[in-house]
Amino acid sequence: MKLILDNIKKKYDKKDVLRGASFTFETGYIYGLLGRNGAGKTTLFNCINEDVEIDDGRCMVEVNGGTRNIDVNDIGYVLSTPMVPEFLTGREFLKFFIDINKKEIGQGKTIDEYFDMVSIDMEDRDRLIKDYSHGMKNKMQMLVNFMANPQILLLDEPLTSFDVVVADEMKQLLRRMKREHIIIFSTHILELALDLCDVIVILNNGVLEKIDKASLDNSGFKDRIINALRGE
Amino acid sequence: MLSTFKVSFKLRIAYKTNGVIYGLKSLPLIKKLLPDSLYGSHNLKIFATIISISAELSSIFIGKLLYFASLYWAMILLKMTPESFVHIITFLTFIGAILNTNMFNPTKDKYYAICLMRMDSGKYVISNYIYYLIKTFVGFLVFSVIFGMISGIGIIACIAVSVLVISVKPCYSAWVLMKYKRTKKANNENKPSVIMWITVIILLVVAFLPPYLGYAISEGFFLLLTTLMVIPAVSSIIYIFKFGAYRKIYKELLTPENLYINTSKKTTTEAQLLAMQKKITMDPSQISKKTGYKYFNDLFVKRHSKLLTKSAKWITLISILIYLIVVGLCLFFPDKTKKFNEVLHSSLPYFLFIMYSINRGSIITQAMFMNCDHSMLTYRFYRQPKAILSLFVERLKSIIIINLMPALVIAVGLPSLMLITGGTDQPINYLLLFVSILSMSVFFSVHHIVLYYLLQPYNINLESRSFTYAIANFLTYILCYYTMGKQIPTIIFGSTITVFCIIYVIVAFILAYKLAPKTFRLK
Repeated sequence: MKLILDNIKKKYDKKDVLRGASFTFETGYIYGLLGRNGAGKTTLFNCINEDVEIDDGRCMVEVNGGTRNIDVNDIGYVLSTPMVPEFLTGREFLKFFIDINKKEIGQGKTIDEYFDMVSIDMEDRDRLIKDYSHGMKNKMQMLVNFMANPQILLLDEPLTSFDVVVADEMKQLLRRMKREHIIIFSTHILELALDLCDVIVILNNGVLEKIDKASLDNSGFKDRIINALRGE
Repeated sequence: MLSTFKVSFKLRIAYKTNGVIYGLKSLPLIKKLLPDSLYGSHNLKIFATIISISAELSSIFIGKLLYFASLYWAMILLKMTPESFVHIITFLTFIGAILNTNMFNPTKDKYYAICLMRMDSGKYVISNYIYYLIKTFVGFLVFSVIFGMISGIGIIACIAVSVLVISVKPCYSAWVLMKYKRTKKANNENKPSVIMWITVIILLVVAFLPPYLGYAISEGFFLLLTTLMVIPAVSSIIYIFKFGAYRKIYKELLTPENLYINTSKKTTTEAQLLAMQKKITMDPSQISKKTGYKYFNDLFVKRHSKLLTKSAKWITLISILIYLIVVGLCLFFPDKTKKFNEVLHSSLPYFLFIMYSINRGSIITQAMFMNCDHSMLTYRFYRQPKAILSLFVERLKSIIIINLMPALVIAVGLPSLMLITGGTDQPINYLLLFVSILSMSVFFSVHHIVLYYLLQPYNINLESRSFTYAIANFLTYILCYYTMGKQIPTIIFGSTITVFCIIYVIVAFILAYKLAPKTFRLK
C-alpha cells in the first residue's frame, strides 16, 4: 500500500501552514517526520485524518496499482495528548472498542492479551481511566489504534511520555508492525528519529522533503537534517 | 515598604488595564476594529487606565453603599427600632471579618506579584493590607455616618462602626495566622470550612432575630465593645506585621485551582476538565450487560449518576414533598381551596419555566462533551454517521427518561390537585395538564441535546465558541421567562404547548438525523 499526498494546502486565518506538501509513503517503513515548533506537523496529520478540511490537494491510497480515497479503517491516529474516555475502566473501553470494530478486529486476542501487549498491570485494568497516569493513557490510546489494525499509523510525539522501559517496548512493537504498515512518526527528538525511523522527512515552510542519508555517518546526517530544518 | 506597595499597585492597575482592553476586544464588531498591537497603544492605554483606576476607587464605595442601603431597607421592612442598626452591624461585622479578609483571598494580583514577580511577600502583604484597611475605613465611614444618622444613631456611634470594622478584621486574620503556625494549613476564604459556615449562620441569626423580636444591644454597649476591641486589634496588627511566613501561605493558596481562571487558557481548561472529571463516580455495582453504543451510554449515565440521576431524584423528592404540603394545606384550610383552584386553572404558563429550570439537559450535554466526546471525537470510527446517530438515539432516550422522573410527579400532581380543590368544568383539563407537562419535559430534553448535536459549541480547548448556541440558549430562557407572567387558561395554553412540543420534537429529530453527522465534530 502507498499513502499519496498530492500538493496539500492548508491556511489558518492568514497563515499558510501547508503550501503544497507532497509525498508518497510506502508499507514497510517507519517515517520520521521532523519539523520545528509550529511547522505544521500536527496540521498535516489532521489533514490526512480528515480532522480538518484541506484547502487544496488530495490525500489518497494506492492499493494494487489503483488509487482511491482514504477510508475510515485505513488510518490509526495516536495524538500527542492521549484522548481516552475518562469515565470507563481500561477493560470497558477495550470491550466497547471491540464491540464497535468487530469486523476489523475479528476474533483476535482476548482483552487481557491486548493489555499484555502494552504491559498494563492486572490491577490497573479495572480502574477508571481518569485515574491512569499520562503514560498509561497514552498506552491505551496506542493500543486501540493498533487493535483495529489500520494500514496507516500516524503517531504524533508518541514515545515522549513513556518511561525508558516502556519506550523501548514500544519501539520493538513498532519495528515488528512496520512490515505490514505505513508508520509515520512525528517527533522533536532527533536521536529518537534516527534510532527508530528508516526514512527522515522534514516539514519546512509548508512542504515535505526527504533527507537522504547517502553515505553520511550519523553525525554528518544529523548536521544535514539540522541544516535542512534551518532552511539552509 | 512604600515602594513595594507602589510597584504592586501599578502592577494591579496594569493588569486590570489590559483586562479592560481584552474585554473591549472580545466584543463583536469592536474586536474587528481593534488590532493586537492595541496593548501597546498609548492613548487607549490611558483610557483603559482611567477606567481601571476609577473602578478601583469606586470599589471603595459601591459595595458599602449597597451594604448599608440593603440593611436600611431590611430594617424598614422588618419594622425594627433604631438601636437595631448598631446591633445588626456589630454581628455582620464579625461575619465580614471571617468571609472577607482580603489577606486569605487567593487573587490573581497576589499571584502575579508574589509568585511571578517574586516580590517580597511580607512587604507586599502588609502594605496592601494597610491599604485595604484604609479603603475599608473610608468607605464605611461615609455610609455609616449617612445611614446611621438617618436611622437616628449618634455621630460617635456612626464613626465607631468603621472603627469596629477595621478592628475586628485584623483580630480574625491574626488568629488565622496563629492557627497556620500550629497546623501548617492555610485558610482559603473562598472555601469556608463547615465550622466557619455554622459560625456565620449563627451570627446571622443573632444579628437579625433579636432585633426582630425587639431586643438589641444598646448604643452605649456598642461603644464600649468597640473601645474594647481596639486593644486586641492593635496587638493583632503588630502580630501581622511581624509574621514571617507569608510566602509559604501563598505557595499553598495561590494554586491554579484556587485562582480558577489563571495564567493561561490551558490551565483554565484543565481546571474545568478536572472539576468535571470529579463528577465521575464508580462503584462495583455499575456494570452493563449491553453491547456497543448502548453499553457505552449505559456506563456513561451510571458513572455520572451524581450529576444526572441523583439530582433528578432529589427534584422528584422535593416535588413530592411540595405536593404533600399543598394537599395538607388544602385539607387544613378548606376555605382557601376555591381560590387555589382558580390559580391552578391559569398556572400552566409558570410550569413552562419550572420545567425549563428543572431540566438537566444542559448540564448533561456539558458532561457529555467534557468527559466523553471531547476525547472520543478524535477517533474516526466515533465520527461515522452511523455511530453518531446510534449514540444520539441512546442519549436522547436516557435524557428523556431521567427528566421524566420528576415530570411524572408534577404531571400527576397538578390534575389531582385540581380534583382535590374542587375539580373543573371541562374534564379535558385533567388530561391537558398531564400531557402538556410531560411533553414540556420531553421538549426540553430534546431541545438541549439536539442543540448540542447540531451546533456542537465547544472547540478542542473546551471553550464555547458558538454564538448561535449562546443566542439559542438565551432565547429559550427569555421565552420561558416571558411566558411565565401570562395568564392563559389551561385549555388554550395546554393544547397549544402540547401540539408545539410534538411538532418541535419531530422536526428537531429529523434535523438531527439529517445534519448531525456533519455538524457533530470537534471544532
